Amino acid sequence: MTIPYQCIWLIMLLPLAAFIANGLFLRPWVKKQSPAYGYVTIIAIAASAALAIWALLSVMRTEDHVIPVPDVSWAVIEGGVSIHLGIIMDQLSALMAVVVSVISLTVQIYSLGYMAHDEAGYYRYYTFMSLFTFAMLGLSLSDNLLFTFVFWELVGLCSYLLIGFWYHKKSAADAAKKAFIVTRIGDFGFLAGILILYLNTGTFDIARLHELAVTGVLTGTVLMWAAIGLFAGAIGKSAQFPLHVWLPDAMEGPTPVSALIHSATMVCAGVFLVARTMPLFVFSQPAITLVAVIGGFTAIFAATMGLTANDIKRVLAYSTISQIGYMMLGLGSVGMTLAGEITSGALHAGTEELLIITKGAVAIGMFHLFTHAFFKALLFMGAGSVSHATGTFDMRLMGGLRRAMPWTYATFLIGSLSLAGIWPLAGFWSKDEILAGAFRAQPVLFALALITVFLTAFYMFRAIFMTFHGAYRGGAHEAGHEHGHLHESPWIMVAPLVFLAVMAVIAGWWNLNGDFNRFFAHEAEAQGFVSFFTVFAHRVDGMPLAPVSLIVAILGIFSAYAVYIRRWVTAETLGKVFRPLYLLFVNKYYFDRLYEDIIVRQLLMRGLFRAFAWFDRNGVDGAVDAVAETVIEGGQTLRRIQTGQLQLYGLFIGIGVVIIAICVIFFG
Amino acid sequence: MTVGLEHYLVLAAVLFCIGLYGALTRRNAVVILMCIEIMLNAVNLTLIAFSRYVVPQLLTGQVFAIFVMVVAAAEVAVGVAIILAIYRGLTDIDVNNINLLKW
Amino acid sequence: MNPIIFNLEKLPDWFGVLPEIILLVFAALVIILDLFVSQKKILAAVSLIGIIASGALSLGFWGTELSFFNGLILTDSFAVFFKLLFLGVSFLIVLASEDYVNSFRRLQGEYYALLLLATTGMMLMAGAGDITTVYVSLELTGISLYALTGFLKDRKSTEAALKYLLLGAIASAVLLYGLALIFGITGKTGLGEIARAVQAQLSGSASVSPALFLGLVLLIAGFGFKIASIPFHMWVPDVYEGAPTTVTAFLSVASKAAGFAIIMRVITSVFAAPDWLARDWATVFAVLSVLTMTAANIVAIPQSNIKRMLGYSSIAQAGYLMVGLAALGSSPFPGALAGMSPAQSGVLFFLASYAFTNLGAFTAITIIAQKIGSDEIADYAGMGRRSPLLALALTFCLVSLIGIPPASGFMAKFYIFRAAVQADLLWLVIIAVINSVISAYYYLRVVKVMWLESPPSAEKVPSSALPTVSLAVSCLGVLALGTIPGLIMKLAEMVNQFMP
Repeated sequence: MTIPYQCIWLIMLLPLAAFIANGLFLRPWVKKQSPAYGYVTIIAIAASAALAIWALLSVMRTEDHVIPVPDVSWAVIEGGVSIHLGIIMDQLSALMAVVVSVISLTVQIYSLGYMAHDEAGYYRYYTFMSLFTFAMLGLSLSDNLLFTFVFWELVGLCSYLLIGFWYHKKSAADAAKKAFIVTRIGDFGFLAGILILYLNTGTFDIARLHELAVTGVLTGTVLMWAAIGLFAGAIGKSAQFPLHVWLPDAMEGPTPVSALIHSATMVCAGVFLVARTMPLFVFSQPAITLVAVIGGFTAIFAATMGLTANDIKRVLAYSTISQIGYMMLGLGSVGMTLAGEITSGALHAGTEELLIITKGAVAIGMFHLFTHAFFKALLFMGAGSVSHATGTFDMRLMGGLRRAMPWTYATFLIGSLSLAGIWPLAGFWSKDEILAGAFRAQPVLFALALITVFLTAFYMFRAIFMTFHGAYRGGAHEAGHEHGHLHESPWIMVAPLVFLAVMAVIAGWWNLNGDFNRFFAHEAEAQGFVSFFTVFAHRVDGMPLAPVSLIVAILGIFSAYAVYIRRWVTAETLGKVFRPLYLLFVNKYYFDRLYEDIIVRQLLMRGLFRAFAWFDRNGVDGAVDAVAETVIEGGQTLRRIQTGQLQLYGLFIGIGVVIIAICVIFFG
Repeated sequence: MTVGLEHYLVLAAVLFCIGLYGALTRRNAVVILMCIEIMLNAVNLTLIAFSRYVVPQLLTGQVFAIFVMVVAAAEVAVGVAIILAIYRGLTDIDVNNINLLKW
Repeated sequence: MNPIIFNLEKLPDWFGVLPEIILLVFAALVIILDLFVSQKKILAAVSLIGIIASGALSLGFWGTELSFFNGLILTDSFAVFFKLLFLGVSFLIVLASEDYVNSFRRLQGEYYALLLLATTGMMLMAGAGDITTVYVSLELTGISLYALTGFLKDRKSTEAALKYLLLGAIASAVLLYGLALIFGITGKTGLGEIARAVQAQLSGSASVSPALFLGLVLLIAGFGFKIASIPFHMWVPDVYEGAPTTVTAFLSVASKAAGFAIIMRVITSVFAAPDWLARDWATVFAVLSVLTMTAANIVAIPQSNIKRMLGYSSIAQAGYLMVGLAALGSSPFPGALAGMSPAQSGVLFFLASYAFTNLGAFTAITIIAQKIGSDEIADYAGMGRRSPLLALALTFCLVSLIGIPPASGFMAKFYIFRAAVQADLLWLVIIAVINSVISAYYYLRVVKVMWLESPPSAEKVPSSALPTVSLAVSCLGVLALGTIPGLIMKLAEMVNQFMP
């Protein structure tokens, strides 16, 4: 049966209820460390996940893949702006809601074990987490850009709070600040984009904007700048070049937070935003090209930095940036092809059909988002499990953990294989699509993407070999922490890993025979897809893509094996030979240096801000003080009229009558 | 000369002004109350005159005047009670000296 | 323009005032019970029951257009809206008085009874269909409030009562003179009849007769006293400071709302046509509103007593409300006064929002004053640490008074200002917004003192159950009106159908 629309509202409202229950009603009666907070959150999110899955199944079953949901009017102002809070339930939002709620559920369960020893307690953690889940679901379901923006900022806030969860650590507090400020730069673009759209069309409604773009009402430079503005928001939130610097630092937050927010869901919000407004991008060729180029470049750019990182979470963070670049590339390349067809007039379709095709163009990118969410969350939680045992995230202090932590090892391995794109795991299927898309759109982008495949396989297996193979190198050295005895994590942490590992294997099978693409694009472009085995015989424009990418990936794994297990060539030698490159990667292309030292310290603080400060002290302050003083003086004087003399008050009534009479006679 | 509506109205207006002037200038709280009574009675006079000359077939103005008298009586009762309370504390009912609350 | 007023012969006349009769009966009952019961909390409970019963009965008239006693009493949705507002306010005031009444020692029964009587008067004001009803109900409210003001019997309280009484009596004499003149010109006392007569006299002419002019001026002056518009406001700071805090709350909320109800009954409806007449009084309200907002906000800044400060604040709020009245009169749409006018629904929304906000603030002050025994703002230092929830509630209400979302004050101002802009009163809105900025200064000063200064003692400020409930209801109301204004706005628009 089709899901009733009230239940669709519940998907996002249940986590909000958990937030309110935890934040307001439970806290006065339950102590901060109680797992009760966790149970409330888990129950609410489990219900919301079940509803989301139900909604997805319903959407799959309906004819046009949309379930109508009546709006709720937030403020009724007759004849003027009317602001409605409405939700969309279509393929895109249903998929996103399922990803968010399911990943969130596994993360919350995992956190019961992971956060157990934290003095700050469950209270703050779960309260923030349920707020985040609410905001993220709201972001996925919202039907207008204004509320999308509100939720966008709300997830940003949650991210800030959770990165700085251990706010007593200076590095955590700094990282939180950095994340907040850097993403704010992108949000400025987002807001500008929304305003451009609103001023030119008078609407925030996404479906309406789609129509306007497809029918050609919204076009030209207006559309281009609006789309670029939206993409700027996406760059900030999804940590794409050049605003990628915050994500690696954000790993200061608790690991489950990284798994949920900084890999699977929130950082993918940028991809989601582009997908949500895809028709706007498709009808603006410069904007969609920018998406593809930024995506392709970020993919390889972040992967190179992942090669040299020693902190396991940072490796995963760079991998996340790189994979999101992939998703952008997937959206961009398909969009580019489509935009080319539209401008050259090769595509003959009616408005209605065009709308479906352009909205369907997001299938490839979203499919990678879907599979990536599972295996990346798995990898992060695996890393958390490892640090649970060793007390550190530094891979140089690990090694040989595979015997002590067999479950963690097995699931981490599956996640890595999936990420590297090994047949028949999830990552293989989704990555293959993106490579095919890039190949059709632009050979240079394809080349970048193929090199990234090699790099990805290499750095992931470097991480595995450093962490799980060889001999144990002793874990954390901090005083008071004894990590001599290695142990597997408790079952409450292992169970979510196993679940996600299963998903990391099977999630990609959805698109066998092109089912997923058909779901998104209806029947429009569902030809030329492959089944489980015939994939290797399939050729894209005469190129056997699947075998090529698989070979490249295996080559990457083999190289890592050669360097880190066999030591035919040691990492040190490589570092010496490619010294300039090595330094570039280790120093993250000097981007932090550029931003912090040169732009912030030299340019802004020394120059601009000093000038502002001077102007503020001498110009603004003076004027403000003068006005304020006049007002306060005026108050002091005027209050003297109130002498306490009854009859003076009476006299004022008489004066009032005269004032009214004068008003009527002279002004009336 | 016959006494017409305008004579009553002018008399009432003069009475009203006398009452208002007294209420704003006399210092004794009881006298102020009395002045207010003069104002109200001026209005009563206006009401009755209007009633008599504008709608002679109805008694609306007269009835209104009775309402006003009743209400005025109630007002004076409360007023005198409050003045009495002030007198107990201050042994004085000069409104010039009742100025604790100001500014 | 001419709605049909049904005269259902089946309904006896007393039925129309049943809610008021109930309240009167309960007022008498409370006084009688006071003689017998020693547990004084029963009196509060009885009053609450009376208020609820009366409210339930009033609700029954929602959506009807009935008149009783030959048009003396009207029971339309407009009246019901205000009756429920007044009853709601007095309900919360009774709750908030739980501890406070102990400072009266004796005469607690009279306190509740007078509260109920004042409420009765206000309810009659909202339903007045005739100038006699207008005057009598106004005086019933007034006299009850004079007595309540002097209830503390200390020097400040009695002084406040005397000032209130004498000035109130002068103002009502002025008002009465205005009513008498209107009666003289039209020969009618029913508001609907007066409206028709005025329209008939003025149709075709371009100016008013001197008598009607004087009558209108005196009416505005008399009502101006009630809503505390400058320059009829001089009683407000003194009375607010001297009166018992709960009575101050009642005065600042219910009495002001009643004033606006009666203005909308008598002035904005009766003198709505022709257009130039409406623009005349709209100009008066615009000028008074500028004077009121500006002077009140400036004088509020140096105040050190929080009750006095809130007194000036409530004058300033009346200024914002008069922006709505000005918009109502100068609305460019023909027939806007006949109903569905955004200005009128804006004023109703503002009054509801203001009622919750100011009640919340005064309840918090009452609770705090019980403990620290002072109304000086300086003594509120460190309240954020001594009693975080109380301070938070007060902060929230002050924020609402400034007009910052998500508190309801924001939406309230938004609706009114928007109506004013539509009525081509942009200059007025600009002045009002500048005033809102000025007002932030003195509201936020209290917030600053509470949260940033260190407390003189670490002692907690206790609050009993009932006042806390009252405070919580007020704050929830502020939040609800601020976050889901659509709902109450729909109600306010339904009320708009009223015409005498």
